[in-house]
Amino acid sequence: MPFHHRRKTAVLAIGVSVAAAFVLAGAGAASEQRSERQFAGSINIGNSTTLSGSIAALGQGGLQGITLAVEDLNAKGGVLRKKVNIVSADDNATAATGASNVRSMILEKKISALFGPVSSAVATAELELTKQYKVPTFLHISNDITLMTKRYTPYAFQLVPNTVMEPRSIAQYIKAKVKDRKLNVATFAPDYVFGRNTVANFLKALTDLGVNHSIVNQQWPALGAPNIAPQLSALVASDPELTFNVQFGGDLVNFNNQAAGFGFFKDTRIIGMYGLDVLKALGNQAPSNGIAFNRGPFWGYKNAEMKVFVQRYKKRFGSYPNEWAIIGYSAVQAWADAATRAKSLNGDKISAALAGATVKTIRGPIKIRACDHQAEVPEFVGTIAAKDDKTVGHKLWNPEIFVSSPAKTMITCAESLALRNS
Amino acid sequence: MDTLIIEIDGTLNSASTLFLTSAGLTLIFGAMRVINLAHGSFYMYGAFLMTSLVGFTTGSRFWWAVPLAALAVGLMGALTEVAVIRRIYGKEHLTQLLATYALFLIFADVALRIWGTDARVVPFPQAFFGSISIAGTQIPKYHLLVVGTAVAVGLGLVVLLKWTSLGWKIRAAVDDPESLEAGGVNVQRLFTVVFALGAFVAGLGGAVVSPQIGVSPGIDASIIVFAFIVTVVGGLGSIMGAAVAALLIGASETLGAKVAEDWATVFPYVVMIAILAVRPWGLFGTPER
Repeated sequence: MPFHHRRKTAVLAIGVSVAAAFVLAGAGAASEQRSERQFAGSINIGNSTTLSGSIAALGQGGLQGITLAVEDLNAKGGVLRKKVNIVSADDNATAATGASNVRSMILEKKISALFGPVSSAVATAELELTKQYKVPTFLHISNDITLMTKRYTPYAFQLVPNTVMEPRSIAQYIKAKVKDRKLNVATFAPDYVFGRNTVANFLKALTDLGVNHSIVNQQWPALGAPNIAPQLSALVASDPELTFNVQFGGDLVNFNNQAAGFGFFKDTRIIGMYGLDVLKALGNQAPSNGIAFNRGPFWGYKNAEMKVFVQRYKKRFGSYPNEWAIIGYSAVQAWADAATRAKSLNGDKISAALAGATVKTIRGPIKIRACDHQAEVPEFVGTIAAKDDKTVGHKLWNPEIFVSSPAKTMITCAESLALRNS
Repeated sequence: MDTLIIEIDGTLNSASTLFLTSAGLTLIFGAMRVINLAHGSFYMYGAFLMTSLVGFTTGSRFWWAVPLAALAVGLMGALTEVAVIRRIYGKEHLTQLLATYALFLIFADVALRIWGTDARVVPFPQAFFGSISIAGTQIPKYHLLVVGTAVAVGLGLVVLLKWTSLGWKIRAAVDDPESLEAGGVNVQRLFTVVFALGAFVAGLGGAVVSPQIGVSPGIDASIIVFAFIVTVVGGLGSIMGAAVAALLIGASETLGAKVAEDWATVFPYVVMIAILAVRPWGLFGTPER
């Protein structure tokens, strides 16, 4: 081909390419404008949670669940035709930081709802603010019962089993297994309100259910303490038959590693919060046949919505969802459902719409009890499998899972109101 | 099970962990008078590096991963000293606290970015997997390694300080840095070496202890308080003091867990207050210059 023809062809090719680029860019911008036009504005929701330190995995999981929920909402046109944006902040598991985050979110970012935190102590501080500013608040990790009794506000909703429901569920499981046999029981719990209350309610539940038991040892290591040798030595020396461990995350992994060296799991049956993250971290060192409890393990649900969610979450984040992601997602679903039915983001209207309502979530339908805004949700109790699960590549639970009935684990409305007024 | 043997084992294991973390801190604090709130970060990085170097293997990789992790943390310490710490010598304690607290936060955030939020596990090396029977009581084999490492580090530091020229300079820096500088010693380089050595020992502690703990964000903050307690109770700059203090603190924790579980976490602080009330400069320290 003569040179001047080649040059002409090259110029033409470049020109077409440039023109195509402009057309595509214009199309993209137009598409974005179109998708932005489908929203009549935007809403901010806040997630002040623990994203650093020893309990970061809980906050991070929750944030990921919330993120996916928001993306799904926006894909369907948002909430009340408004695009939902997340404002997140790390509370460092301290009440002062959490309160400061929330105040800033409310006053500067004008959040319409708040999700989180991990720590019940931080939640206590935040609830004061959200009560003052009437911001609907969804607790999807912290679960101390005082949050919905003594600290009750009409704008807060509890989406997890609380520190009475959870230990009662475990006690029911134990009762079914041991029947009338006497048990030597030890407890090992982090020394703060969650650990203390959970242990107290577990022991009370054992007594109420008529489980014949004696307490041989109780230890209270600090939350996040890596050196638990003194407490563990005392526990091992007491030779319990059953040990109720209320630690979670890295603390439970830590306990497991150190206790295994004593051959502890050969002589004692451990009960612990062996969820996805802990089992993944422990791998083969997870104690086979140990008793595990969890608030929302994805393998405990049989509904289609959960299966779809698990696949989508894995595709989005490259890992399977832990319980905090699942419950966080369902918390956003509950809020969106209430806002849609109330046709408003107003705190009082959302509170009225949600109290006593049953919302459709990936965890199945969840009823929010009207008297105290506690979700009527089960606790899952099972045993750790001996072999790796083919789906996730590490141990999960055996197929037989006890799913507690909220009707048998929740305190009554009268009891709840009595605690509120005490 | 013989409870005494278990309790002695628990005390020694606890004391060894505390000593490995605080030995470096006492060197740094004693020689350089720098309050380094980021010291726990070195321990944490030693542990995290082990999770990356060892992975899920139980074989020989563990044995070269430990010194490699410790050396890497030592290098991290040297770089930290050159970049930040040497600019705060002689400054007010508040300035040192703020600067090293900032370092602590930065290191914590970097660790989050590298290793994420999930707890990680380092498998026990095959040779120290399982338990050993001592007078009929099962004790984790790995505890022997932890205690042995602490003893070796302690002896090594004593030899270094007593019988090497570097050690002589470090001791002189603890006692009288002005005379040392007047004598022609490059004190700035010496401090870099001391800081790196302190970081190395802390990193070694984290690496050796890593199979026993859930390596996760936050272990830096958890260990630093007790590291300071042991350092202060033992006396600034005293390796022997750090060893004795670690044993006392470890024993107090074990005693607390045995006799008063609800108050177990208070016992070490009671011991600290009691000792400092009588000897404010610590067991083996000297009155402040």
